[in-house]
Amino acid sequence: MSGASRSRAAPLRAGDKHRYGLWLMLTPFLVGTVVLVAVPAVLTFALAFTEYDALSPPTWRGVQNFFDIFHERVFQIALQNSAIFVALAVPLRVLGALSLALLLQHRRRGYGVYRVAVFLPTVVPDIAYALIWLWIFNPVFGPLNIVLGALGVPQIAWLVDPDTALYAIVIMSLFQIGEGFILLLAALRSIPPDYYAAGSLDGAGRWQLFRHVTLPLLAPWLVLLTVRDIIVTAQNTFTAPYLMTGGGPYYATLFMPLLIYEEAFDRFRFGLGSAMMIVMFLSIGLLLYLVFVTMRGWGYEDDA
Amino acid sequence: MTRKRRPFTFSASVALVAQHAPRAAIAALFVLPLIFVLSASLRAPNQAPARTIEWIPDPISWSNYVRVFDFAPFGTYIGNSFLVVLIGVPLTAVVASWAGFAMAQMGSTARRNLLVFSVMLLMVPITALWLTRFVIFRYLGLVDTIGALVAPAIMGTSPLFILLYYWTFRRVPSEVFAAARLDGAGNLQIWAIVAMPLAWPTTVAVSVLSFALLWSDFISPLIYLKSEQNYTLPVGVQLLQQMDSTNWPFLMVGAALMTIPIIVMFFFIQRFFWLDSRG
Amino acid sequence: MQVIGKVLVGVLASAALAVPGAVQAASGEVSFLTFGDPAEKAAYEDLVAAFEAAHPEIDIVITHIPGQGNYRRRLATDFAGGAPADIVFINYRRYASLAAKKALEPLGPYLEKSTVISESDFYEETVTPFYWEGTLQCIPQNLSSLVVYYNQDIFDAAGVAYPSDDWTWDDLVETAKALTQDTDGDGNVDIYGLGTAPSIFRLAPFVWAAGGDIVDDHQNPTRLTLDTPEAREATEWFVDLQVKHKVVPDAIQEAAEKSESRFLNGRMGMFLNSRRGVPTYREIEGFVWDVAPLPMYRQRAGILHSDAYCLAATAENKDAAWTFIEYANSPEGQTIVAKTGRTVPSLKSVAESTAFLDPATRPSRARVYLDYVPDIRGVPIMETWVDIESTVGKELERAFYGQASVDEVISESIRRTQEYFQR
Repeated sequence: MSGASRSRAAPLRAGDKHRYGLWLMLTPFLVGTVVLVAVPAVLTFALAFTEYDALSPPTWRGVQNFFDIFHERVFQIALQNSAIFVALAVPLRVLGALSLALLLQHRRRGYGVYRVAVFLPTVVPDIAYALIWLWIFNPVFGPLNIVLGALGVPQIAWLVDPDTALYAIVIMSLFQIGEGFILLLAALRSIPPDYYAAGSLDGAGRWQLFRHVTLPLLAPWLVLLTVRDIIVTAQNTFTAPYLMTGGGPYYATLFMPLLIYEEAFDRFRFGLGSAMMIVMFLSIGLLLYLVFVTMRGWGYEDDA
Repeated sequence: MTRKRRPFTFSASVALVAQHAPRAAIAALFVLPLIFVLSASLRAPNQAPARTIEWIPDPISWSNYVRVFDFAPFGTYIGNSFLVVLIGVPLTAVVASWAGFAMAQMGSTARRNLLVFSVMLLMVPITALWLTRFVIFRYLGLVDTIGALVAPAIMGTSPLFILLYYWTFRRVPSEVFAAARLDGAGNLQIWAIVAMPLAWPTTVAVSVLSFALLWSDFISPLIYLKSEQNYTLPVGVQLLQQMDSTNWPFLMVGAALMTIPIIVMFFFIQRFFWLDSRG
Repeated sequence: MQVIGKVLVGVLASAALAVPGAVQAASGEVSFLTFGDPAEKAAYEDLVAAFEAAHPEIDIVITHIPGQGNYRRRLATDFAGGAPADIVFINYRRYASLAAKKALEPLGPYLEKSTVISESDFYEETVTPFYWEGTLQCIPQNLSSLVVYYNQDIFDAAGVAYPSDDWTWDDLVETAKALTQDTDGDGNVDIYGLGTAPSIFRLAPFVWAAGGDIVDDHQNPTRLTLDTPEAREATEWFVDLQVKHKVVPDAIQEAAEKSESRFLNGRMGMFLNSRRGVPTYREIEGFVWDVAPLPMYRQRAGILHSDAYCLAATAENKDAAWTFIEYANSPEGQTIVAKTGRTVPSLKSVAESTAFLDPATRPSRARVYLDYVPDIRGVPIMETWVDIESTVGKELERAFYGQASVDEVISESIRRTQEYFQR
């Protein structure tokens, strides 16, 4: 079917040339990937077993780095914070994107404006986004607390209070869900209208239609979105705490990426940093595996 | 006639309000932060911050947008940011479309393997590569050069872009490419003359997305750049914060400078994202 | 052929320069990395301009990093990348790790040979901290001690007397209380009496004034000693400024607007800072300000703030670099920088001159910095001091903002810093 299989019928010389040509076009991407992803990944893995400060050559430490980091209280806190963040933000973000897509899916007058508005925060660069929310969360002059004050609701110290800082970062992450929103919008629109028509004829209510028609058809997209969001969310906890809280107050917003950055580029402990990196990587992998297992079971149940 | 329609119009407008009010409120919620930025960026810097919501500051201090340039060479930073984008975006489009084109043309085994490879790449957390990319850039002499910021473009910036092109080219009927091949065109010619013109909406989307990625990139310049003359806008904005972390008017000016180009670009291309107002 | 020709010309030219017996002046390009506010940047540009006028054969390429945090990171990555600037500015709290790894060219031998300056021209208090394993590493440019900057207008409006040269801890508390006001009666404090960072670097002089210390032995430190009765008393007094007396902004107010920003905008009575703030404060137009010494308790104590010119071991043109360092720390060079307000000069002659004590420039009580020199102490010189400072800072912050008790914070600080003393 493809051009490649078709060309196999052509004389051998031309086919080979064609195939080499294709690989040649792939070369920049493959070389770039090797240099920028594969080699760094292997190096990270190797460095995790060494002590390396970039001033003198690395020395072998074996698995000692891993023992060391797990004994470090700050590492435990960062791992825990990251886990809490992912556990809260990912479901809320996926749910938020789904609700918005359902709410704004129809082709009606004015809806286009709403869709653009909802997508807007997503295109704001991270650093600007962090500063904007730093201002919104400002405990005295920030718009959020001023509104709360005007409503007579007790004001919250947000990023200043160790008990609320992490939740504040979760809240701000809930407004950058445009990617999931358009993905689900596209998915919703790919559902043929007859499905709903058939459902309505059966006398199904809106909730039942959603439960038995929309949701099963969206399921693969939701899985994809969840998987991607776990990866993105786990990583995106750098710029916000770096700029807004420095990981504080008292480590309340210290997430793994920030700790790794500090370990490596402030304290020049590349070995320990790499070991932390591997732990984070494995944790994400484990989480993804769990998601796959759960969602797969969920999907089969629906099929039955 | 009018009498007959009035009740209908009334209930229709109730329905219309019921339909639009919650959606408009949600949309407003998402836009509000950007409005706060603009109004906060126009407040006179020495004034004590307001304790009420201030939509339009009094006096409006447009000079903030000029005065940040005294604080740090923002002209240089903006120039560098545009340079990165100017090199990075076309490079991304070429590399990603080549790779996508080649993948779409390959035999099924190679194609499937490359597909799996790309999806897996999409899953690699970039944070896992910060440290050792630094080590590699050091050996390549890329530390403290714009090259370190453009480097990801060599691999198509994000595997997503390769996949986007791949899907686009797979949708092109294979006869189109086969016909060109029979006419004696080589891969590059087919890519340039046949494939790319067909894929222009994808190219627009990839260009905008890679523009956003490269323009917003804060971590790469933070880690790989050293000299002030190479700084890009995100580092410049962070510097503003380092110098005076609660000078809100200036910080909001920085945020606005970063955001405005992206938003302007976004408005031009929003119809490629299923968002267009035609519904 | 052409290449060979060029090489030949080059060899001949260098041979011609190296005429035996002729004293060869250092020449070439030297890079110089510095940091600070825009106002400080001008100081170093003036210095470089004056130097290049006197030494046209040497070209100083100056790189200025605006933020201090960025500067530290830049410095570290530069050295790790093996390509630092030839001359770098380093604080005495931070040079030890570089000296230990032999990344710095010790400047002691250069200073001994100098005909322009000698070690005895400098205040001993600022030279001693830069000795590492018996050798002077860097040439200090300043010895700015911590002082109290105060807004005279706020004092006048509140009818409070300016701090005297021998004021006490109690005087500070009373003064700060009198200055802390809610001017518009809305229940929010509009003017705070005092501002300070809750760090061990700010706390240390108070510990010393109470008769305690921050570590057990400054030569061979083995533990943090904030748990002695004197150190504990000082820590509690320091924390009480916020927790009990509420004369310092609390965590919420500090997050809303930084203390230094409040001071600059005329909404804070007193602010603790080193000399570094002066170039920026001189641009203040809204009010008159001056400086007072730190208040005393059982004894007087100040804390050293000192940055030095260091020479990277990797520098190719060390002689030319030294020529600049020597000039920058000659009376002529230090005078230029002193006039911008940035430094309390490390050269006694310049510190006692009008370049520093000029009564026409603020602060008018500039002698305050010099009077405290004999009572100045430094933090211990350790490779891990930066880690200790950051760990203790996070703990102290909790106590300072009322999130943990002083005792808990002290014992946590000691426990958590133990590993940094064992290295």
